[in-house]
Amino acid sequence: MSDAANSAPVLQVDGLVKHFAVTRGLIRRKTIGLVRAVEDVSFEIARGETLALVGESGCGKSTTGRLILRLMDPTAGSVRFKGKEIADLDKDALRRMRRHMQIIFQDPYASLNPRMTVGEILAEPLRVHEIGDDASRAARGRELLEIVGLLPEHARRYPHQFSGGQRQRIGIARALAANPDLIVCDEPVSALDVSIQAQIVNLLQNLQQRFGLSYLFIAHDLAVVKHISDRVAVMYLGKLVEIADKKTLYDRPLHPYTQALLAAIPKPDPALRTKRVMLQGDVPSPFRPPTGCRFHTRCPHAQARCSAEEPLLREAAPGHRVACHFFETIPAPTILARAGLANGKFAARLAAFEAAKTARAPG
Amino acid sequence: MDTLLEVRGLKTHFATDRGLFRAVDGISFSVPRGRTIGLVGESGCGKSVTSLSVMGLVPSPPGKVEAEAVLFGNRDVLRLTADERRKLRGGKMSMIFQEPMTSLNPVHTVGQQIIEAILAHTAMTPRAARARAIEMLELVRIPSAAQRIDDFPHNMSGGMRQRVMIAMALSCEPALLIADEPTTALDVTIQAQILDLLSDLQRRLGMAILIITHDLGVIAEVADQVLVMYAGRIVESADVNDLFADPQHPYTIGLLGSIPRIDVDRKRLATIEGTVPSPNNQPAGCRFAPRCPFADQRCRLDPPPLRDISPGHQVACWKAPVEVAS
Repeated sequence: MSDAANSAPVLQVDGLVKHFAVTRGLIRRKTIGLVRAVEDVSFEIARGETLALVGESGCGKSTTGRLILRLMDPTAGSVRFKGKEIADLDKDALRRMRRHMQIIFQDPYASLNPRMTVGEILAEPLRVHEIGDDASRAARGRELLEIVGLLPEHARRYPHQFSGGQRQRIGIARALAANPDLIVCDEPVSALDVSIQAQIVNLLQNLQQRFGLSYLFIAHDLAVVKHISDRVAVMYLGKLVEIADKKTLYDRPLHPYTQALLAAIPKPDPALRTKRVMLQGDVPSPFRPPTGCRFHTRCPHAQARCSAEEPLLREAAPGHRVACHFFETIPAPTILARAGLANGKFAARLAAFEAAKTARAPG
Repeated sequence: MDTLLEVRGLKTHFATDRGLFRAVDGISFSVPRGRTIGLVGESGCGKSVTSLSVMGLVPSPPGKVEAEAVLFGNRDVLRLTADERRKLRGGKMSMIFQEPMTSLNPVHTVGQQIIEAILAHTAMTPRAARARAIEMLELVRIPSAAQRIDDFPHNMSGGMRQRVMIAMALSCEPALLIADEPTTALDVTIQAQILDLLSDLQRRLGMAILIITHDLGVIAEVADQVLVMYAGRIVESADVNDLFADPQHPYTIGLLGSIPRIDVDRKRLATIEGTVPSPNNQPAGCRFAPRCPFADQRCRLDPPPLRDISPGHQVACWKAPVEVAS
């Protein structure tokens, strides 16, 4: 982390905005309004760092990921990748640059072409970017399969012959093919069972260490995010409401929305079963977001000013920014936490489970 | 305790082109009146098929449901006529599903759908049924219920639709509510609202809940007793506090170790190697043996029975309890 902080950021996002026009009428199309999907979002990602972008459905986190890869054009704002503004790139230059920024999708079933063998799927990014010849691409494909924990001979098979977790590994191998610097991971483990999810999370962490990758990890699951990220940005209705390093965000969340999100996660420990403070109501429509602070309609601490004036993202501490008028005075939530799994029968059994696994592992 | 539902030796198999799929393969459990039983496991473990079998919603063919008995009250539901089953479903035994989008009919208002359910199971007049439907929508905390009753499902959010499903399921005062992944499709703040609503309704109405989920967090929040399923069998059954503090089956241990948690700091997640066996090609002995770090020859040959390890705690494992130095 320390040397990563010194070097220039891999990605700088500044004032990113995306509005979608809502139209009505078949013959004379009229724009009747705008869905403000992403509104003035700024952040940076350092080399080798994982920034998580979290929030509930419709908060704009996936749109932000797509804007960064320029899979869609932003309404306003700047995205600089290794210092270069991507909005200025022409088609060819953009394609050359995409070699260095890749994406992993949520749905391992829909993101692999069913008519291509795994070998072809892995060779395609190399072919597109004109790297190597057929033989070297095939060799790279076999190497990639080993890197992600599959077997070289799997290259001859088709996606349907794999389980969901294995397909996600293939998706990861494809993203790695052209040696990228940044990978946008869009809900990469949400569709997987927990035991498989853990395998993929561990794999992503190993690959990051091995290849010095930066991740933008888009997710709704704050528990997974806590495990994998260095810093966390929380979005609500298109706006960034809080950004901080992981420890600060989980130990001392300042925005009422972050506090509510953390409180809402069911804890896998019946001893922590408590009556929680709950958010009332649903997320409002991004078509007509509330005035002032967009969260004020559900916020337990809202005051008159919140519906009138939009809060700025203000610095609470170095590296910790919060968009709330009153974060200084909001009472701190009680964070339910345990010292760890260090004691108890479960911890001892888990240690025995892991030890037995290591003892059996070949080599 | 007063037993409401008792399932003994349930087997649900499906005949397919690729052989016999043993989705549920000989499971027994009971649901006491007014309590919450959690059925937890990963995709394909048979948890949903179990609930569909109890409800009599397994299509036959290709499905075949067999059991020594599935006693609800004092009646064996597998031996009821089609008509008697229909009366029971949505009446004394009711179900909600994961997808509140697809389980409501898009061309009818939510009110029409709740009223239909009430009229099918009671002798109420349509006017009384409508009043009852509004009362139910208020019970599930839908604001301005008297107006929202005439909304179509597409006018409602996912959380609201799940509330409508719950209102419909509870409209005939069931003794048992089966909830199959009721919050999986919802955002976490909405999930918290729905779980809270279910617990509150249970306290007020006294029904038993069989909740089916892959999420051990949800189980820890709401269940009294937990059944862990793996590859069509129950591998562990325990009181919720026991299960989380003192898990006995290696699968349960691995599963608990693989959940990322916000309340505990850990460097690495535990993983369970490999994948779930295919339901038409199950291992001969313990079905978890190919993935189990403790497995030996006996585990691979002999299926372990579910046996008592301490009062109220059962496990199907030859190696349990894994002795640990404390």
